[in-house]
Amino acid sequence: MYELPNLVPALPEILLAVAALGLLMVGVFRKKDATGFVGGLAVAALVVAGIVEVNLARVPVVTTLGGMFVLDGFAVFVKALVLLAAVLTAIMSLSWLRQEKLGQFEFPVLLIFATLGMMMMVSANDLMALYLGLELQSLSLYVLAAYHRDNLRSTEAGLKYFMLGALASGLLLFGASFIYGFTGATGFDAIAKALGDGASVPVGVTVGIVFLLAGLAFKISAVPFHMWTPDVYEGAPTPVTALFAVGPKIAALALLIRVMVGPFGHLVEQWHQVVVALSLASMVLGAFAAIHQTNIKRLMAYSSIGHVGYALIGVAVGNAAGVRGVLVYLAIYLFMNIGTFTVILSMRQRGRMVEQIEDLAGLSKSNPLMALALAIFMFSMAGIPPLAGFFGKLYVFIAAIQAHMYTLAVLGVLTSVVGAYYYLRIVKVMYFDEPADSFDRPIGRSMTFILTGTSLVILLFFLFPEMLLTGAETAAASLFHG
Amino acid sequence: MYVAVVFLPLLGAFIAGLFGRTLGDRGAQLVTCAGLGGSAAMAVGIFLDVAVGGHAQTHELFTWISSGTLDITWALKYDTLTAVMLLVVTLVSFMVHVYSIGYMHHDPSVPRFMSYLSLFTFCMLMLVTAGNLVQLFFGWEGVGLCSYLLIGFWNDRPSANAAAIKAFVVNRVGDFGFALGIFGIYYLFGSVNFEAIFAAAPQHAHETVQFFGVSGNAMTIICLLLFVGAMGKSAQIGLHTWLPDAMEGPTPVSALIHAATMVTAGVFMVARMSPLFELSETALMVVTVVGATTAFFAATIGCVQNDIKRVIAYSTCSQLGYMFFALGVSAYQAAIFHLMTHAFFKSLLFLGAGSVIHAMSGEQDMRRMGGIWRHVKITYAVMWIGSLALAGIPFFAGYYSKDIILEAAFGAHSAVGEYAYWMGIAAAFMTAFYSWRLLLMTFHGKAHAEDRVMAHVHESPLVITVPLMLLALGAVFSGIIGVGAFVGEGREGFWREALVVLGSHPALEAAHHSPWLVSLLPIIVGAGGIALAYGFYVYMPAVPLGLARALPAVHRFLLNKWYFDEAYDFLFVRPAFALGRGLWKDGDGAVIDAVGPDGIAAATRSVARRMAALQSGYVYHYAFAMIAGVTAFVSWYMFLYQG
Amino acid sequence: MIIQTLIFYVFAAITVAGGVMVVTARNPVHSVLFLILTFFTAAGLFILMGAEFLAMVLVVVYVGAVAVLFLFVVMMLDINYLKLREGFLQYLPTGVVIGLILLVELVMIAGKWVLSPASLESRAAPTPMLVKLTNTEALGQVLYTNYLYLFEAAGLVLLVAMIGAILLTHRVRPGVRRQKIVDQLARTKGNSLEIKKVPIGGGV
Repeated sequence: MYELPNLVPALPEILLAVAALGLLMVGVFRKKDATGFVGGLAVAALVVAGIVEVNLARVPVVTTLGGMFVLDGFAVFVKALVLLAAVLTAIMSLSWLRQEKLGQFEFPVLLIFATLGMMMMVSANDLMALYLGLELQSLSLYVLAAYHRDNLRSTEAGLKYFMLGALASGLLLFGASFIYGFTGATGFDAIAKALGDGASVPVGVTVGIVFLLAGLAFKISAVPFHMWTPDVYEGAPTPVTALFAVGPKIAALALLIRVMVGPFGHLVEQWHQVVVALSLASMVLGAFAAIHQTNIKRLMAYSSIGHVGYALIGVAVGNAAGVRGVLVYLAIYLFMNIGTFTVILSMRQRGRMVEQIEDLAGLSKSNPLMALALAIFMFSMAGIPPLAGFFGKLYVFIAAIQAHMYTLAVLGVLTSVVGAYYYLRIVKVMYFDEPADSFDRPIGRSMTFILTGTSLVILLFFLFPEMLLTGAETAAASLFHG
Repeated sequence: MYVAVVFLPLLGAFIAGLFGRTLGDRGAQLVTCAGLGGSAAMAVGIFLDVAVGGHAQTHELFTWISSGTLDITWALKYDTLTAVMLLVVTLVSFMVHVYSIGYMHHDPSVPRFMSYLSLFTFCMLMLVTAGNLVQLFFGWEGVGLCSYLLIGFWNDRPSANAAAIKAFVVNRVGDFGFALGIFGIYYLFGSVNFEAIFAAAPQHAHETVQFFGVSGNAMTIICLLLFVGAMGKSAQIGLHTWLPDAMEGPTPVSALIHAATMVTAGVFMVARMSPLFELSETALMVVTVVGATTAFFAATIGCVQNDIKRVIAYSTCSQLGYMFFALGVSAYQAAIFHLMTHAFFKSLLFLGAGSVIHAMSGEQDMRRMGGIWRHVKITYAVMWIGSLALAGIPFFAGYYSKDIILEAAFGAHSAVGEYAYWMGIAAAFMTAFYSWRLLLMTFHGKAHAEDRVMAHVHESPLVITVPLMLLALGAVFSGIIGVGAFVGEGREGFWREALVVLGSHPALEAAHHSPWLVSLLPIIVGAGGIALAYGFYVYMPAVPLGLARALPAVHRFLLNKWYFDEAYDFLFVRPAFALGRGLWKDGDGAVIDAVGPDGIAAATRSVARRMAALQSGYVYHYAFAMIAGVTAFVSWYMFLYQG
Repeated sequence: MIIQTLIFYVFAAITVAGGVMVVTARNPVHSVLFLILTFFTAAGLFILMGAEFLAMVLVVVYVGAVAVLFLFVVMMLDINYLKLREGFLQYLPTGVVIGLILLVELVMIAGKWVLSPASLESRAAPTPMLVKLTNTEALGQVLYTNYLYLFEAAGLVLLVAMIGAILLTHRVRPGVRRQKIVDQLARTKGNSLEIKKVPIGGGV
């Protein structure tokens, strides 16, 4: 007789799914515009899911739902980050929807679905579960990217993302089918068993891994699978871009780590070089291509490509120290990006969004506090101590050096020097250029709250690094439990 | 007491400097003057205990640097030499502090000024109480810094800033020599503590070292290097150019730093290092010649200057020359004696000049003064006392000290001693001349100032005149009181181990047995100089002008200060600027920037442009890139990696 | 057996050829028709393997619904496909080179194909024994138990796709005349009839 699987580890996901379905009903059956109401409930649902998730942290490694769903410290840590990103972007989105009068209740519902997809990705323990989580997330995001459908750029962004995403999914599925074909299994544990200690690996598996990696690299926008990023970042509505920049990146990177060190943990030789190549190319392109950008969202796109490159250093190292570095990096990256996008969202002149870098000119005079916050984020992204961004890079580089990957570390430092140019250019524009039109004020209570919170975290991280470091440490250790 | 005497001024400087705004002008003045007053009182006590009572002592405060064999403790060393300096510095500084209350009361930043003054005093005390060379160097640089700050105190005047920079840069040349000298001592002795050095000095007397490829006597080289430092600080010929320009600073500063204390640091240092200098005949000869030449040369310039403060500045320069040639003939006691008397009468002259300037509403050119003695009687009187002391008229302080120096120079019975004696006599003549020239042009004759200024001429308030009168007492009596102990029969018991004079250098002893004409000549030429000044400026005013017209080359040569500034400008300043500009424009700009930062930046930009151009916006380009990427990775594994 | 092998190759050849034609046909309608052909032959291949349920689903869903819908869309939208193909030749050489490389590599992989023992085992013993159950029953047994998670997840994916489609296409257009039966029924004399006094000689 069939037994009901243990649903406790998947409680947050179930909660979110039910909430999304319920909110969909609420939205449909409410007569007047339900965006605010649904949105508020969506934020509440995400927060509750987050609380439940954090409370699951003490659960030891457990697989459930036919072995396709795994919950361990790593999953909890990353899901907490994802949920935090979702909550913050949801709050940002709601205020944006109100201002732009674009409110439709599907927006928060899709946001929940996207988050759900990300959480499923993080917990995936089977190639099929991986794919379905990925698709749920991607499909929601395709729609969100095209959400501003009367805007040509937004629809173009959605379409481009959709088409290239489909291609990436195809690559991923192709790779998965190779792996299935050679190992006869889709579950990660079974694959690991079939591959043994990795002594004699069929070349088909290697090629499958390469295709799989290509599909995932698309999601984290690593070079050369990054081309969609600038166009989509620029075209998509700004709060959606903020979500793109953090949530899917974190989830996909976590998924990549889980796949690579999980079933293919003994095959480091097979995938290590690809990750190194992705990392190097991303760092270089992220640093150089951003220099000529004039649109700040496009600039952030290249910046995120660069950051992914740094995070991939930790993946390439492939041990607990490396994964810890990635997790720390991602957590800090989350705060920096959310903060920066809050500022970008506040760039409104006479009720209209602007997104050129030169629009920031003289911000230090018209709105000194916002300029200060953005300066903090920029310095942090450039990796200038004692701001948090410096520590993110530091732990990744340390891991690389301990693993004798000097090329990666050295190139990482060099490209971050190049990258500092365009981050500091923004600071220069804000502080030294002649003031342009000032931005509309006030920016709203929730935005101020997010901005203050994130900038304080970045600024004061160096005082209390322990919490994050130990959290990342245990999370990384849970992945390498044996 | 021995510690507090040094640190009280520092405390005052801190309070006045940091809390000047809250304390206000009055508070800052009170705090610093109280600090200095306390310090001066303690200095008197220390003088009685150490110099008169004979209790030389050293107080170690804490270890400063301990690295390998280099072991430097922060110690305060008190012997007679220190005690004398302590007394001079604190007394004069106290007078100047009080004087400044009156003199600077118009200034908007009084607390800053008072703080600098106290800070300077602290550094000077640090210098004179130093127990080792490094600590001495700390004080040495400290007074240099304060001098820079005070010369440029009126920092809205370009000339003041230029003068401050000049003082700093010229001193740097000297300091470089001094620092090399310290390195040399450490190299030779393995220590920088005075006790250790002096104890070991005789053993090292004949060692030779290679220095800049030249082999020479170690002691001579070290002493010459130290003397370069002393030349810089004490404005000896060659490195003197900063001193006249330093008169851009407020007059109390000139009195304190550029007459009584800082400029004598070089003299003090050479005296302190007497155990080393005694071992090097060559170094002593150089000191004598440089000192004698400076005494003469500065006096010649002083005769033709028209700025009241510059005249006194050159006079200072000249008197420092006296001290140095006294050092050079091993009459250290005489040099320090003159240092002390000079401190009193020269600061008196400066402060008196300041009082005159104050009365004349800021006028400094003597040609626009005259005929004011009735309005400023106290100032007039003290200026007379100062001038009499300076000219060496009997029974005033300068008489005793200058006389013993000249006698000692003669008594050295050497060629350089002879040279120094005659130079000194000539300088004494000119000193008397320009002193009375100053007095006569300033106070007598027709009034050359505008009526508006003349109407405003008034005696300074008590806060200015009381310090003047006190210093005048010093200018009158310090010589007659000190002569016995400093250079007379009691000198052995007074100085004890503070100064070392070898038996082969009996100049001071011989001075007491010099022929009567030698002793009398300075007085005669002094009187002659005064008479000449009267003749020129009271009875025949046309003569000086005629003389200047008859000998235009000489006059211009003197007026332009022997063209030292011009020569330096041509030799060092211009080439340095040219070199700097060349390195900047051609070296840095054309070579380093073009290849380095600019080149890399340009390359970065072009790479960035190309990368941005990859982003065409066409989906099929993007898809193509992805497929190509996958293919490349697969190929890598298929063909290259796995073989 | 030989017949089966023969049929397999016939179906396989037609599938591949149909796929090629989908991509290369000039007329988009032809492309869709070739796609339908490909689906059909693929269904045939499924039947050869004994997966009759999948074969039927493929025909019903893909041919019956998806491909026909496709055909409608292609015929309704007047797209100048020739214009879309501009520049095709320009990129053809590089595309062909890349494609060839990939093809060669894949062929090489196929040549080295070694099935893992685990794979062979799992093929020998499918989860529900096919001898005892029909295809449909077997799928039904695992779909709602072992693969419940995936099933639900797939459901969510489809829901999101639906929401997305509605969100992006559904809009309220002004000026569109639409029959609203509720409104019609709710009409009364009071809100639809107005009586006006027309003054004599003034006209309306």
